[in-house]
Amino acid sequence: MSYFIMQILPYITLVVFTFGVLFRLGRWAGSRIVHNITLAPFPQRNSQVLGIFAAEVIFFRSLFSSDRPLWAGAWLMHMALFGAIGGHLVGIYFLGKQFVYLGMSEHLSEQMSALLGTSAGLALLAGLVYLLIRRLTVQKVKEVTGTSDYLQLVLLLAIVVVGNIMRLFEHDLGIAYAPAKDYVAHLLMLKPLPMDHLAITTPFFVLHLLFVQILLMVFPFSKLMHVFGMFANRWIINRVYKDPASGLPNVDIAAARQAGIGVPSGEGGV
Amino acid sequence: MPKYKDMVQPARASEKEMKKLHIDLTPDDQKCEKALQYLDEMRKKFRSFVTAMESCVKCGACAENCHTYLGTKDPNNIPTNRAELIRKIYKRYFTLEGRWFGKLVGAEDISLDVIEEWYSYFYQCSECRRCARSCPFGIDTCEVTFVGRQILHWLGITPRLHANTGGAMENTGNHMNLPRPGIVDTLEFLADDILDEFGVEVNFPVDKPDSDIIYIPSSADFALNPYTLMGAGLFFTYIGANWTIPSKVTEAGNFGFLFDQRFTQRHNVMRLLDAAQELGAKKIVWGECGHGWRAAKMYVPTMADRPVHWPITHIHDEVAHYIRTNQLKLDPSRNDHPTTLHDPCNYARACDLQENLRTVVKACVSDFREMTPNKDWTFCCGGGSGILFDDPEMYQRRIQLSAKKAELVRATGVGANGNGYLCAPCSICKAQLYPMVEEHNLGVEVKGLIDLVGKALVF
Ligand code: HEM
Ligand code: SF4
Ligand code: SF4
Ligand code: SF4
Repeated sequence: MSYFIMQILPYITLVVFTFGVLFRLGRWAGSRIVHNITLAPFPQRNSQVLGIFAAEVIFFRSLFSSDRPLWAGAWLMHMALFGAIGGHLVGIYFLGKQFVYLGMSEHLSEQMSALLGTSAGLALLAGLVYLLIRRLTVQKVKEVTGTSDYLQLVLLLAIVVVGNIMRLFEHDLGIAYAPAKDYVAHLLMLKPLPMDHLAITTPFFVLHLLFVQILLMVFPFSKLMHVFGMFANRWIINRVYKDPASGLPNVDIAAARQAGIGVPSGEGGV
Repeated sequence: MPKYKDMVQPARASEKEMKKLHIDLTPDDQKCEKALQYLDEMRKKFRSFVTAMESCVKCGACAENCHTYLGTKDPNNIPTNRAELIRKIYKRYFTLEGRWFGKLVGAEDISLDVIEEWYSYFYQCSECRRCARSCPFGIDTCEVTFVGRQILHWLGITPRLHANTGGAMENTGNHMNLPRPGIVDTLEFLADDILDEFGVEVNFPVDKPDSDIIYIPSSADFALNPYTLMGAGLFFTYIGANWTIPSKVTEAGNFGFLFDQRFTQRHNVMRLLDAAQELGAKKIVWGECGHGWRAAKMYVPTMADRPVHWPITHIHDEVAHYIRTNQLKLDPSRNDHPTTLHDPCNYARACDLQENLRTVVKACVSDFREMTPNKDWTFCCGGGSGILFDDPEMYQRRIQLSAKKAELVRATGVGANGNGYLCAPCSICKAQLYPMVEEHNLGVEVKGLIDLVGKALVF
């Protein structure tokens, strides 16, 4: 089982994820922007459009104005998520020694990496729990929630909980950067792992990867497509629009007033 | 009729009324199949619709940003749930997850009940786009309402009010079924009124050839908002414009935009272009109508079957221009009532007119008070997209739909002494607010904006 999850399933996941997303995006691209539905205030330059996109992606600006309590949880969750995803890439690639490039010692860098990873993991957990509680308690959110919305939150929670367990109890239950990197390298080179490799014999690591792969396979067929949907949508509603110039043809107000147009002859105006 | 399984519904157009719009009723046993066919066509065409279907995270942020949910607490009036009425069908028939996992992902088989739900809830949405403004992804439920109403229309399900208004447009070129002689008479009558009340000689030229400007008034102004037409007449006279009103389109609105964005809407657009060509216009200036201005400014370019040679601007773009360049003499003390401005959503979110409205209103009144939220965060009056139904259940609904706006107007305090002005420069806003300020006891009188300009102009 572990062998399947760690050595075969990843390729299936990759195919499902990639083709799933391409299929979805292809369908979006097949439909058109038929009418101009840009939202006011209209941006006048592409740099302003870029500013809107950036503010929405980095700060969730519209959400900040429309639903502050949600913004707090959602922003925390996503920033921690981006941090965690980035941390996985960097930490595993550099084996935790990435901060050496910022002038730290190797030892300090590893500690720093561990500290940041743990904080991101816990923040992510807190954010997800907050969002789940919100779904379970706030009336308007209950009214829009379906089964799959709960399941996705629970799945993410499962990933994060297992990940945090591995972080907090690294020596007993977790796995070090080195064997993880070795595992990824084997996967990328299409080389089978020895059966006694730590990546296969560490149960929580296997579980973590199983959940992540389920998430990635669900991704193209679920609301997780909002990652792309956000850009696709804003591409439609946030675009440059320039108004035609004001000022009416052949109008000379000074002359018109001089001539007293509208003022009845014989009387003064009002 | 207007209740179906506890849902309020507007009265429907009869078979004969639909025939006038060139639509045959679809028999019940074919409705589901046809609805799916039309939905398939729509989803392949409109990307704004597809992304609304496929990227909502059900976060609920839109809920309390929609006045319909605030006013009714009906879960189906939450924007994403309104969209879900179609999304559940979309998922079932057009997505893999819906076909495989059905209910688990919220997919549902189509049925006549679902179609009746569409009719109820897509005609409670006022297409105001506050949901799009508040959604973290900008998902625009208005686009879903457009699709829902179009499918319903093709099935032969359209409110009588909308169908007859659309039909009148094809008949006379305006929503009120006013024939040309009626228009000319009313304008002469208004000219007399202006002379009596303002002491100004205004001439309303109709179909005058070689006019530089054609002005497109809202036909409601002929009957319900005479001061709006008078204000426009005073403005054009003041600036000495060579202008005319084309009898071919005495209609700033376009009900086609609201229920049939194919034939009915396009027909109105082509009338406009014909009129501009015949009268040799150089510029088209639009009157006070929210959805109509959106339809004109944002949709004429993509609706027209010919190149559009005329710049189209709103009358308040022009008034604001002349105020900013100091060419109008305005006396704000003539409008000395506490005044607040209702930003019509179609102006403020769809057309970027909000700053010009302020330039104008501030120059014309002596005591202006902002409403909050406003501008691109404005709340709709509750009548948007022409849901001005009079049948008793729907009228009750309209009172609920206007509850949020009433609360905001009250908070400005302009009506505290019973002499406030609520400036609402849109025909549908006016039609909704005239009765609503009474229902909610707001102590304000509803005014158009060009009305106030006309009054403040010093000749
Ligand atoms: C460009 C990147 C992204 C942006 C701008 C973004 C934005 C948002 C926003 C604004 C929400 C709504 C607030 C909420 O319900 O929490 C949301 C929800 C959500 N996002 Fe993202 N997101 C991004 C990437 C991701 C990624 C990569 C994942 C995970 C794989 C993810 C998972 C989720 C989940 C599960 C929810 C629903 C939360 C709930 O049920 O309450 N997001 N996202
Ligand atoms: S367009 Fe307006 S009325 Fe319709 S769902 Fe959105 S916010 Fe509500
Ligand atoms: S705010 Fe947007 S993403 Fe959130 S539930 Fe509403 S439509 Fe969906
Ligand atoms: S009627 Fe007025 S407030 Fe309501 S949607 Fe139209 S423009 Fe907006």
